[in-house]
Amino acid sequence: MTTSRYDAIVVGGGHNGLVNAAYLARAGRKVLVLEARDRVGGAAVSEEVFPGFTFSVFSYVVSLLRPEIIRDLDLPSHGLHVLPLESTVTPMLNGDYLAQWGDHDQNRQELYRHSPHDADAYDEYGQLMYHMAHAVKPILAMVPPDPTSLSPRDLLGMLRFGKHMRGLGSTKFNALHKLMTMSSADFLDEWFESDPLKATKSASGIIGTFLGPRSPGTAYVLLHHYMGELDGVFRAWGFAKGGTGCISEAIAGAARKFGAEVRTDAPVARVLVRGGRAAGVVLANGDEIAANVVVSGLDPRRTFLQLLEPNDLPPDLVTTIRRFKFNGSSGKVNLALSELPRFTCLSRNGADPTIALRALRGAISISPGMDWVERAYDDAKYGEFSRRPYMDIVIPSMIDPSMAPPGKHVMSIFVQYAPYALNGGWTGAKREAFGDTVIDTISQFAPNIKTAILHRQVITPADIERITGLSEGNIFQGELSLRQLFFFRPAPAWARYRTPVSGYYQCGAGTHPGGGIMGASGRLAALEILGGA
Amino acid sequence: MTPGAAYDAIVIGAGLNGLVTAAYLARGGLKVLVLERRTIVGGSAVTEEFAPGFRCDTARHDVGWLSAKIVGDLELSGRHGLKLVSAGDDVIAPTRDGDCLLVPGSDTDSLRRFSSADADKWPAFAARIAKLASFLEHVYSGPVPGVDASSFADLRRVLGLGLRLRGLGKHDMVELLRTLPMSVAELLDDEFECAALKGALGAQGITHICQGPRAGGTAFVYLHHQVGRRAGAPRTTLVPLGGIGDLARSLADSAREAGAEIRTGVAVTRISMKDSHATGVVLGSGEEIAAHRVVSSADPRQTFLSLCEPAQLEPEFVRAVRNVRYRGIWAKVNLALDALPKIPGLPVDGHGSSSVVISPSLDYLERAYDHAKYGRLSEHPYLEARIPTLADPSLAPPGKHVMSVHVQYAPFHLRDGAWDDAARTALGDRVVATLGEYAPNLPGSVIHRQVLTPLDLETLFGLPEGNAYHGEMTLDQVLFMRPVPECSEYHTPVRGLYLCGSGSHPGGGIAGGPGANAARVILARGAEPA
Repeated sequence: MTTSRYDAIVVGGGHNGLVNAAYLARAGRKVLVLEARDRVGGAAVSEEVFPGFTFSVFSYVVSLLRPEIIRDLDLPSHGLHVLPLESTVTPMLNGDYLAQWGDHDQNRQELYRHSPHDADAYDEYGQLMYHMAHAVKPILAMVPPDPTSLSPRDLLGMLRFGKHMRGLGSTKFNALHKLMTMSSADFLDEWFESDPLKATKSASGIIGTFLGPRSPGTAYVLLHHYMGELDGVFRAWGFAKGGTGCISEAIAGAARKFGAEVRTDAPVARVLVRGGRAAGVVLANGDEIAANVVVSGLDPRRTFLQLLEPNDLPPDLVTTIRRFKFNGSSGKVNLALSELPRFTCLSRNGADPTIALRALRGAISISPGMDWVERAYDDAKYGEFSRRPYMDIVIPSMIDPSMAPPGKHVMSIFVQYAPYALNGGWTGAKREAFGDTVIDTISQFAPNIKTAILHRQVITPADIERITGLSEGNIFQGELSLRQLFFFRPAPAWARYRTPVSGYYQCGAGTHPGGGIMGASGRLAALEILGGA
Repeated sequence: MTPGAAYDAIVIGAGLNGLVTAAYLARGGLKVLVLERRTIVGGSAVTEEFAPGFRCDTARHDVGWLSAKIVGDLELSGRHGLKLVSAGDDVIAPTRDGDCLLVPGSDTDSLRRFSSADADKWPAFAARIAKLASFLEHVYSGPVPGVDASSFADLRRVLGLGLRLRGLGKHDMVELLRTLPMSVAELLDDEFECAALKGALGAQGITHICQGPRAGGTAFVYLHHQVGRRAGAPRTTLVPLGGIGDLARSLADSAREAGAEIRTGVAVTRISMKDSHATGVVLGSGEEIAAHRVVSSADPRQTFLSLCEPAQLEPEFVRAVRNVRYRGIWAKVNLALDALPKIPGLPVDGHGSSSVVISPSLDYLERAYDHAKYGRLSEHPYLEARIPTLADPSLAPPGKHVMSVHVQYAPFHLRDGAWDDAARTALGDRVVATLGEYAPNLPGSVIHRQVLTPLDLETLFGLPEGNAYHGEMTLDQVLFMRPVPECSEYHTPVRGLYLCGSGSHPGGGIAGGPGANAARVILARGAEPA
């Protein structure tokens, strides 16, 4: 046992763990963050994978980071700089493209080219989503009450929750109900007719889930991704300068400034429990570190089943956590390119060359139609990776040249579906086959891609799990499905960041509101710890 | 009030819900007229002769939960001759290797042969499901007020449901909230290992919806179909002797005795409106009948968009009605057989199960759905077949049998082609061939077959897009959202116009449920304000 005693130890230096540590330290607590890897960030890391080429290896865009966190922790002063991602271009199978631009008029003009009806509906749809996002926003900042508890605090919480819902009025409440229960395909069908538009929008409803766009529940994820558009119109999605790792570094910097200690290469083996109370942690090397409070930023499976002994927990909870669904469904391919990809749809005769250049500064979505995305899911349902996957492609070096050597580029390709439970398991050969499928599919739209590749890094869900510790490679620390949200996240009665072990807390994305580089779980957990201390 | 009206209420459509509404309203002292387009009552719940000497439930062979309250209130079984008989709890699920699982029901011996672990878990699972279904049963026995409920009655009902929910106890309450948005595949995978069991149970979660068993909300559909059943039972146990049509017959008798008038063979073409107030109906013949109220058991789209003048409704409301999803995905095949199909487990003496479900695994169902997703008939469809002649030989000539087959998925909207004669024949062939894989003697014993495509079901029975439930039972289209929030409590934006069909809460698969609730609301509101 070491002599120095901490008020709190945070297990895992992902962005939620760091946010948590920063808030605890800011309140004067003596905090230690323990990270297994050689760098902080978890799935939000920048690495120079190939000499001169830096990648946001896993998570690659940012939109959801809570503004109050940016403010409270003064992240810009620690190097956070978000560069806007202004457009999404969808190459179509007929050789045309559909673009969604940040500029309202240009966007309308482009949509009108495809469907006058959709151009009209777009603004109204945007309004609705804006209102819906506003309706949900207070819930994101709410510590979920336990609906089954009769404690005054929970009853008050339920009352607040109920009042908020009633306060929305029936029109908004009913619209919210539809969003929570419908499939993104059905929801979008009520608004739009253009197939590539619906496919591209619905694709954001399936990210990180093991569901297809026609599966109920995906409309909510659509909204989840819309949240970013709250604060300033088209700041929406962006890159962090230097990659997503710089977000983690900025938060870590803030935490350190408030006095927290951040230790890397320090994997935690388990939480020390004495007399039903957390007493500290045991590192993988056997060292014990004492603390009054232990906070886990890991996912629920690791938080409850790996860091604790089964007999530390009620059997019911063990069952519930075992049933918590991860179902990792996405992979990532990172490419070092000798030249920019030339998408055929952008370089057709008569196409405006400035459009092509601008398009590459934004996202390229390989989602030419609803059936494309749905069929990609069909393959995954039966345990195969998609033969024609949905992909979200960005070229960060277009906006932040420091990511690649001069004249060269880095391309980040988010790929779905790549099921964690692949038939026969993920092997080296399967990984390469998956990478080949991704490149083949892109070359259908940008034929020069194959010759432009200098290096490629293929990351399967199994790799995500192995490297970052995210169970089954689920990027949200557990599926964002209705049955795993709010007071169910990660388990009913244990959604308030606490655990049955007194002094042991959770702060990862596996708790409400979860998912994306949002930091809200880490912050709410800190407030809960400070309030309850 | 409509001046000079001869009727207090006109009910459009003599399906089960229309008849239940009419019977309750007549008993409540209203002067009621029921108008039915077909020449027989029952709507999609009719028993007809489809081949010389062979009778069967033409369209639906299972109308789900018929509440004891309706049977009692309307004196169906005593005075009006309805005989409900047990068709057994169990369902036969043949497997591809010639074996068969007897899906419990009550008896887990067969399941034990497949998996003793599953057989051990069955009683607790069935009890848990029954408990959750019993809560739904309560929710279904009255209107579900929306979020902005403010009347005393609404608030009392909300409070009542809230207390009942709490009354489930902490564990079950969490279980219910957790289960509703789940997929039926998750629900079953969490519990069981036997593929045949999961396939057969999972099928209840996708019955009449255009989703596969892996879609969220299918666990709710499964619970919905469990309402009123014996714990965990894979089918409705009690069926009307003589076919489902006899239920309609007894309802009509009950309504008539209470004073309702029922006219068949008359199609309503329009609901007359004056100052956004329903004043009566216009028939195909041009005849106009005035009434103080009009109660429509037709689906919401037909009611508002073709029977009403949409221009007289709010555009937002019209848009909401247009957005109600129907997406019929079932077809019906009725077979006249000169021999009993040789399906393992099928009793020959008339005792035991007469239901056969072809859904050997969840993947089988999911693949069947995959085809429908892209607008095609399932290559290997899910079939739920019944042989009513086992319990009631009078439905066929001596020694012969009838098989009634629910087929899914046959999407109403075909991507290539239409539901023409060729497609109908192909559908019939595929169903018979699929059955032949499990009962090799069946294809050779078919004397006659009646094939009803989703389009036929719409044309013949007025089922919109062939959807038997007047709108999919998905979580966004149930409770206070059904059919659209503005008319989820049976009254509509048109004063004097009410809904009572299965497009309203609690929806399809609950025999007479919407009709009974609608009647209660209408009677409680008393005279229509002028």
